[in-house]
Amino acid sequence: MSEVNMPRLSDTMQEGTITRWLKKPGDEVKKGEVVAEVETDKANMEIESFSAGVLEQILVQEGETAPIGQPIAILGTGAQKSQPAASAAQSQRAPAAQTASANNSGGAHMTASAMSGNGQVSRETGVIKASPLARRMAEEHGIVLSQLKGSGPGGRIVRDDIEDYIEQQKATPTPATSSAIAQTVSVPASSAPSARAAAPVAPATSTTPAAPAATNGTPEVAAADADVVTLSSMQKTIARRLTESKQNVPHFYVGSEIDMTDVLAMRQKLNANLDEDGVKISVNDLVIKACALALEKFPQVNGSYKEGQFLLHKHVNIGVAVDIPAGLIVPVLRDANSKGLRTIAREAKALIAKAQAGKLTPADLEGGTFSISNLGMMDVTEFSAVINPPHAAILAVASTRKTFVPIDNQPVVRDIMHVTLSADHRIIYGAMAARFLQEVKRILQNVYPILG
Amino acid sequence: MAEISFRQALNDTLREELHRDGNVFLMGEEIGVFEGSYKITAGLLKEFGPKRVVDVPIAENGFVGMAVGAAMLGLRPVVEIMTFNFIALAMDEILNHAAKIYYMFGGQTPVPLVIRTPGGGGQQLSATHSQNLEAWFAHIPGLQVVAPSTPEDAKGMLKMAIRNNNPVIFIEHLGLYNTKGEVPAEDYTIPFGKAKVTKEGTDLTVISYSRMATVALDVARRMEQEHQWHVEVVDIRSLRPLDRETIVNSVKKTGRAIVFEEDWRSYGIGAEIAATVQEEAFDYLDAPIKRVANVEVPLPYAKPLELAALTGAKQLVDAINELAPRRRRIITHV
Repeated sequence: MSEVNMPRLSDTMQEGTITRWLKKPGDEVKKGEVVAEVETDKANMEIESFSAGVLEQILVQEGETAPIGQPIAILGTGAQKSQPAASAAQSQRAPAAQTASANNSGGAHMTASAMSGNGQVSRETGVIKASPLARRMAEEHGIVLSQLKGSGPGGRIVRDDIEDYIEQQKATPTPATSSAIAQTVSVPASSAPSARAAAPVAPATSTTPAAPAATNGTPEVAAADADVVTLSSMQKTIARRLTESKQNVPHFYVGSEIDMTDVLAMRQKLNANLDEDGVKISVNDLVIKACALALEKFPQVNGSYKEGQFLLHKHVNIGVAVDIPAGLIVPVLRDANSKGLRTIAREAKALIAKAQAGKLTPADLEGGTFSISNLGMMDVTEFSAVINPPHAAILAVASTRKTFVPIDNQPVVRDIMHVTLSADHRIIYGAMAARFLQEVKRILQNVYPILG
Repeated sequence: MAEISFRQALNDTLREELHRDGNVFLMGEEIGVFEGSYKITAGLLKEFGPKRVVDVPIAENGFVGMAVGAAMLGLRPVVEIMTFNFIALAMDEILNHAAKIYYMFGGQTPVPLVIRTPGGGGQQLSATHSQNLEAWFAHIPGLQVVAPSTPEDAKGMLKMAIRNNNPVIFIEHLGLYNTKGEVPAEDYTIPFGKAKVTKEGTDLTVISYSRMATVALDVARRMEQEHQWHVEVVDIRSLRPLDRETIVNSVKKTGRAIVFEEDWRSYGIGAEIAATVQEEAFDYLDAPIKRVANVEVPLPYAKPLELAALTGAKQLVDAINELAPRRRRIITHV
């Protein structure tokens, strides 16, 4: 009997959500065969079995999440029940083995569905797996077990989980939602309307700012007038990382307007001469190339601040923020400074397609040194973006708009694009950010450097 | 306090008890002229003569029956069964006579009998000479069954066994005879039914007895040094009566328990202890109780196979690693 465990699929992965089981109990599994698909913080991946056997039990169901290393399925020989024990030595051991398999198959349905220890499933079956000690502690501390995720075997909630939870509660005192509920309960029925009104107000009146639910890892008690949506791994990661970024990285913002008229005219000519399977160059590809070239001259903008040191990266790898149904993902276009526009266009298109199909691998997502977020296609005048650590900066690209600009004191219609650089002030200073933007602007407005 | 071997502690104790009480006498195969297969009775025939140290023929049912009769008539026989494996021949005398006579005859005559016998594997003595049959006897009301792990406990518990009016199975272990420990010089007894916490800890409890209790202590100390696991070790010492209170209190503290025993797992001592813990400490359990025991086969002769079948330190370390909680708790000494 062996277990299939949740593998570590990327450096930052802490847990994975099973999106699909490709095998069902009773199916034969070969060594190296894909048994399930899993969504990690970064990508959708496949889980291969490290050993051969018959899938006896699925421990983590589709839609459920398990930390790295936790068993998600049990593989057996599938032979214990049918083969009579032949030799004397086997017959000695047979009773124990048979008992074990009988227990497994008998309890399979109930345990499998109760495994996750996650509130949703437990509400369905009415069974939450928790050690007797964890149950008693939960009762003493007034903790609702369905709020917790178990870290014990098969998702069992154990003392460690209760203690973690209690410590977390101490670290984030008076969560706004639970205090809101307390108010609702304590107010007499006659003043119910005001009590209802108190619920949404509570966060604002709370003296300590309530930490976002996603960052402290434990789902809060639902307010009566809100639907609770459980976050996907990716959504949790986005919430956690961007909170970290905004809390830890001193952001400042520098904006600029770039005249895109000439470069857009050039783009039109380039795209007009394409044969049928050629890839069209987008505005974004132009911005990627311009930034990549500018980053060569500004190593600190292409760097990272890390523990009192500047890391100046030797490669210019540009992260391109892609909007996908599951959230937001930033695949990386490598060595963009040394690639031509066509190559950049082709690679960017492939990355975006992979992102939208959920097929990005951790390799597609690692090693970025700068990122670009482009909302230009959605009629945005301007915006600023949150830095994606360990990057030092991110460029927010707004729409290109026909604008009257004074040229020789005459109003002339030009294509103007607003960009905002968000920069980490620990490594980039104001003038440096401004000069970097000037360089991006020079490349785009002069047109020819971009072909270099 | 002198440091002496387990073997020496038994020898000294038998000598002291033979001196103390003229009703005490020894019986067994090869215990006199040959001074015992494991030399526990060395020098005693010379010192006390053939009426006090009696060599008997190879007939366990015969001489255990004689000993039961002698005990009924007021003597205090201490019988040596050469190894635990030969006790099967005397089962009727033990089960149906020694354990029941006091009860069946209305308390008219107690049976102050001691049966000393060494068990345990690891000496390449093969399937019929390496067994641990303590669960058979611990199952029987009317008997007392003890299995000390240190020379100090061996002395105090053997004195207790001899002075006790109940039939006692006193289990020794071949692997313990040469182990050494401090033994107080004075006359003392250790009451049965009192377990000893040999090491305090907070992360989990290992419950054991006889030689495995010494292995458990070594493993626990090592894991504390190397991995900062605070493992509590309970040496139960006495299998019947069993000190349920100490076991339960320890598990109430740690929430997790392993029973480490050198017998076979099914229906073994660990099964009884696990049942006791879930009955009396259910609300304190943070994980299922683990049993670490021998593989359920007749013990093989070949050394690699014998090692594979016997439980030991490695199996215990694996079990601790598997069962230990994620968070380590710091011992708070008062």
